[in-house]
Amino acid sequence: MSLVNFTAREITCKIVYYGPGRSGKTTNLHYIYGRVPETRRGRMVSLATQTDRTLFFDFLPIDLGQISGFATRFQLYTVPGQVYYNATRRLVLQGADGVVFVGDSQARQLDENIESLQNLQSNLLEHGVDVRAMPLVMQYNKQDLPPELILTPPELDDALNFRSVPSFPADALHGRGVFETLKSVSELVLKKLAAGSPAS
Amino acid sequence: MSPHTRAVETWTLQPLTDFVREASARLVLVLTPSGQVLAQSGFSRAVDVMSAAALAAAIVASTGELARQLRQPPFAALSHQGPRTGFFLATFLTDRGTLAVLAVYDLDVSSLGIVQLFYEQLAADLKAASPKGAVPKQVLAADFERELTDSLNTLFGR
Repeated sequence: MSLVNFTAREITCKIVYYGPGRSGKTTNLHYIYGRVPETRRGRMVSLATQTDRTLFFDFLPIDLGQISGFATRFQLYTVPGQVYYNATRRLVLQGADGVVFVGDSQARQLDENIESLQNLQSNLLEHGVDVRAMPLVMQYNKQDLPPELILTPPELDDALNFRSVPSFPADALHGRGVFETLKSVSELVLKKLAAGSPAS
Repeated sequence: MSPHTRAVETWTLQPLTDFVREASARLVLVLTPSGQVLAQSGFSRAVDVMSAAALAAAIVASTGELARQLRQPPFAALSHQGPRTGFFLATFLTDRGTLAVLAVYDLDVSSLGIVQLFYEQLAADLKAASPKGAVPKQVLAADFERELTDSLNTLFGR
């Protein structure tokens, strides 16, 4: 749940990057970390295994500056993608204001994408949140791979984007689509806030 | 009041200020279980506050889940103590919902016992001061998109 301080005019929102294992969630955060000036970001915290797979979460706070007179900060989290880490995934999702679903564009990963999307819906429900009420954008990552290995964004939209939310082709390793994804989810989250959601 | 004591929600400020002084704590955070900071003391950079809050919330969440799987009530508090510094982390229920307190203390000026003692008072003061229910408020102007785009363009050096 976003935190709004009317006295100091500050907004803090939590955005979670969700998706199957190895889809590129941590890569998105690494790219953002590398591009954002040091004065506008905090330390990137990664709770990872020895082989650098996300164990609990990655966390990156960024400072967006003044939006409508509010100092606006976003807390970016990733979840561990592997199926067996569902308990920690559910914990990270708690209090999320927006979700980026990072899908793997490889055709052979389609089932994993669908399973992860269903898992997102189920975990949100456990927090009492209807996925239809959650600001959500889709990112189809690894679009830089050879065409014969991947599905196109329209094909992925057909298979995954049942809500017709904003979707972006991406190559997170080189930054394509990362900025657009973050911008889109930021807009959705702040629009929801602007619509007068309860301040808490 | 310490120059580094700051409250996002003002009702937390006095209880926190009293706690910092009496327990001689070096760093203190009052946060929600999802890692949002309500008040802090001793931190010099907002972003470091957020990292500490995210990690504290993760500890609260993971120990809570462990307790749930063990069919136990949530663990009320936990602490770690190193050679010079320790930290104490505990949760309690208020009208604002469940809150957590993370207190970091130096062993040459404080101790776990002192921190625990004054934490009880802090929790009671925060429970008494917490507002009853949240009020919906209009937050942002409807035309914030341009400012958001400018901010993100600046962030990404575009």
